[in-house]
Amino acid sequence: MRRRTARPSVLRLPSARIAVAILALILFLAIFGSALAPQNPLAIDAGALYKGPSLHHLLGTDYLGRDVLSRLMAGTRLSVLTAVEAVGIGLVIGAPLGVATVFLGRWFDFTANRVADALMTLPSIFFAVAVTAALGNGLVQAMLPVGILLIPGFFRVTRAATLEFGRAQYVEAAELLGGSKLYVIRAHVLRKVLPTIAVTTAMSAAGALLAVSFLTFLGIGVQPPAPTWGGVLSSDLDYLNLAPWAPFIPGALIAITVGALNALADAYRDRAGAGTGALLSPVADPVIKTHSTLQALEAADDRQTAA
Amino acid sequence: MAVAELTVAGGAPAAPRRHRARSAASRIGTGLAVLIPILVLSSFITYSLGALSNSNPAATILGQDSATPAAVAHLDQVLGLNKPLLVQYWDWLSQAVRGNLGVSYFTQIPVSQSIAQRLPVDLSIAIGAVILATAIGGTAGTVAAIRRGGWIDRGVTLACSAMSTLPAFVVGIILVVVFAVGAHWLPANGYVGPAGGVGPWLAHIILPSLALALPVAADVARQLRTSLVSVLEQNYITGARVRGLPYRRILVRHALRNAAGPALTVLGNDFPIMLAGAVAAEAVFSLPGLGQLLLEAAQTRDIPVVQGVLLVVSAFVIVINLLVNATLSLLYRSTDGVGA
Repeated sequence: MRRRTARPSVLRLPSARIAVAILALILFLAIFGSALAPQNPLAIDAGALYKGPSLHHLLGTDYLGRDVLSRLMAGTRLSVLTAVEAVGIGLVIGAPLGVATVFLGRWFDFTANRVADALMTLPSIFFAVAVTAALGNGLVQAMLPVGILLIPGFFRVTRAATLEFGRAQYVEAAELLGGSKLYVIRAHVLRKVLPTIAVTTAMSAAGALLAVSFLTFLGIGVQPPAPTWGGVLSSDLDYLNLAPWAPFIPGALIAITVGALNALADAYRDRAGAGTGALLSPVADPVIKTHSTLQALEAADDRQTAA
Repeated sequence: MAVAELTVAGGAPAAPRRHRARSAASRIGTGLAVLIPILVLSSFITYSLGALSNSNPAATILGQDSATPAAVAHLDQVLGLNKPLLVQYWDWLSQAVRGNLGVSYFTQIPVSQSIAQRLPVDLSIAIGAVILATAIGGTAGTVAAIRRGGWIDRGVTLACSAMSTLPAFVVGIILVVVFAVGAHWLPANGYVGPAGGVGPWLAHIILPSLALALPVAADVARQLRTSLVSVLEQNYITGARVRGLPYRRILVRHALRNAAGPALTVLGNDFPIMLAGAVAAEAVFSLPGLGQLLLEAAQTRDIPVVQGVLLVVSAFVIVINLLVNATLSLLYRSTDGVGA
C-alpha cells in the first residue's frame, strides 16, 4: 500500500561509482583486450624470462618470456565470459523457479526446495572437477557445474522475496479485480523482487569469478597456452623462487574485480533499504563464498556509533 | 522461556541445561530426518554424473588393442555397467553405506582406502584452520569492539574487508612468498604426517591452515565485533560495572559469552568453505589431499574415485552442518537472535 518513493540512484554512492568504473574497464578489456594487447600473448621470448616490469613489458614477462600484461588482457575475455555464463545459468533457471514456486502450489515448492537443499550440499569445486571428469575437460563443462550450483542461491532468494511481496494485500486485490496471474506477477511482484535479484546477481558473479579463476588455476576448463587469469596465476606459482612478485598481479586483478562486484551488491542493498535487509542476506551456498552476512548489522552499528 | 533467557545471562541451573540438551537431541533427530533424504538425493546426482558421462570405462581399462566388442561386453557385465542406472545406483549406495566405495578402474586400489589415506591431510588443515580462525578472529573482533572507533577498530575493519575479497588460493600464495620464499621460515610445500614427528607436521600444515583461516577469521572478527558492541551496551553490563566487577571478568563471563553466538554460527557455516579451500591449499602447497586425488582421477576419468570423493565430501558437509546446529542449540536456547 506504500506509495513508490523516488529512490536515490545507486551511482550516488562513491563506492558504487568506483565499482562501476572498474567493472566497465573489465568489460572493455573482455571485449577489446586481445585486440589491444601490446604484444602477442602467446609469443615466446627466450631472451626475456622472468623480467620485472619495464617499459617494454609493463608487467614483466613469465617463464616463457611472454608478456604478462598482454596475457592478462587477452585472458580477460575467457575469465569473464565463463563467470557471466555461469551466473546466466543460475539466474535464468533459479530466479523464474523461485517466482514460480510460490504460485505453483505446495508439492512443487517442497520438491524444488529439497532439490535445492541437495545441490547445496555439493561442494562446488569438487562438483565442478567431478563434472569435468564425466563430461570432459572444457570451458562449457567447467562453467556448467558452477552455474548449476548457483541455481539454489537464486532460487532461495527469489522465492523468499516473492513470498514476502506475493502475499501482499495489493496482490490479492489485483487478483480479485480480475488480473490474470501472469499479469499480476509481472506488474506487482516482479518489480519488487528485481532489486533482490540484482543484488544476488552481483554477489553470484563475484562468487562465479572466484570459482572460475580457481578452476582455471587448477587447470580445469581452459587448457594452456590459452591465457586466463587463474592460468597465469598457476604458472607463476611454479617459479616463485625466480619471480616472487609475479603472482600478485593476476591475484590483485581477481581480487579487485571481485571486490568491485561485492561493492556494487552492497550499494544495491543499501538502496533497497533496511526493510528488505533480511531478504537480501546472502545465499547459504556452502562453498562458493560470495559475501559476508554482516552488512545490515554493521550498518545499524555504524548508525549507533554516529548517534 | 523467560527463565531460560535469564539463565543465559547468569549461571545456568541444572533444569534448563537438561532442557537444552533435550532440544539439541531433538534437533539432531529432525536434522537427520531432513538430511538423510538430501544425502540420498545428492549421492544420486553424484552417481548419475559418472553414469551420464559418455566415457566407456570398459574400453578405457582394456586399452585400444584388446577392446574387442566381446571383451568390452564381458567387462561391462563384470563391472555391472550393463544394468539400468537405478539398479547400478542402488548397488553402489548399498555398498557405500558399508564403507565399500568400489575399486579404481586403473590402479585397482579400493577407493575407500585411497580416501582414508588422503583424508587426514585435509582434516589436519581444516581443524588447524578452525583453531587459527577462532584465535585470530576472536582476538581481532574483541579488541576492535573494546576500542570501538579507535584506530585498531578501523584497521581491523579495513583488513577484514580486504581479506574477504581475496580468494584462499591467493592468500596461500602470498603466505608462501612471505614466509617460505622470502623468509625461509617454513617449508613451502609437501606434507609430513603426525607419525613423522609433531614439529615437522605442524610446520607443514601451519601455512595452509593460515591460508584457509584468514578469510574465515575476517568473517568471525566482523561478526564478533558487531555483536560484542551491542552486548556491551546492554544494561546488565553497566550493572556489572556499577557493582565494581573487574572489567576482564565482565568481558569474558558476561559479554563474550553472550556475544559469541553469531560468530560461532559463522564459523560453523564456513567449515564447508574451508573444505573447498583445502583443495586450494593443496594445490598451492602441493599437499597429497583429497582434492589432488580428485583432480588426478578427473584427468584419467577414474569414475569410481570421483564418485567416492564427492560422496565423502558431501557427507562431511552435511554431518558438520548438523553438528554445528546441534552444538549451537546446546549452547544457546535458540540460534537466531543470540546477541542481536
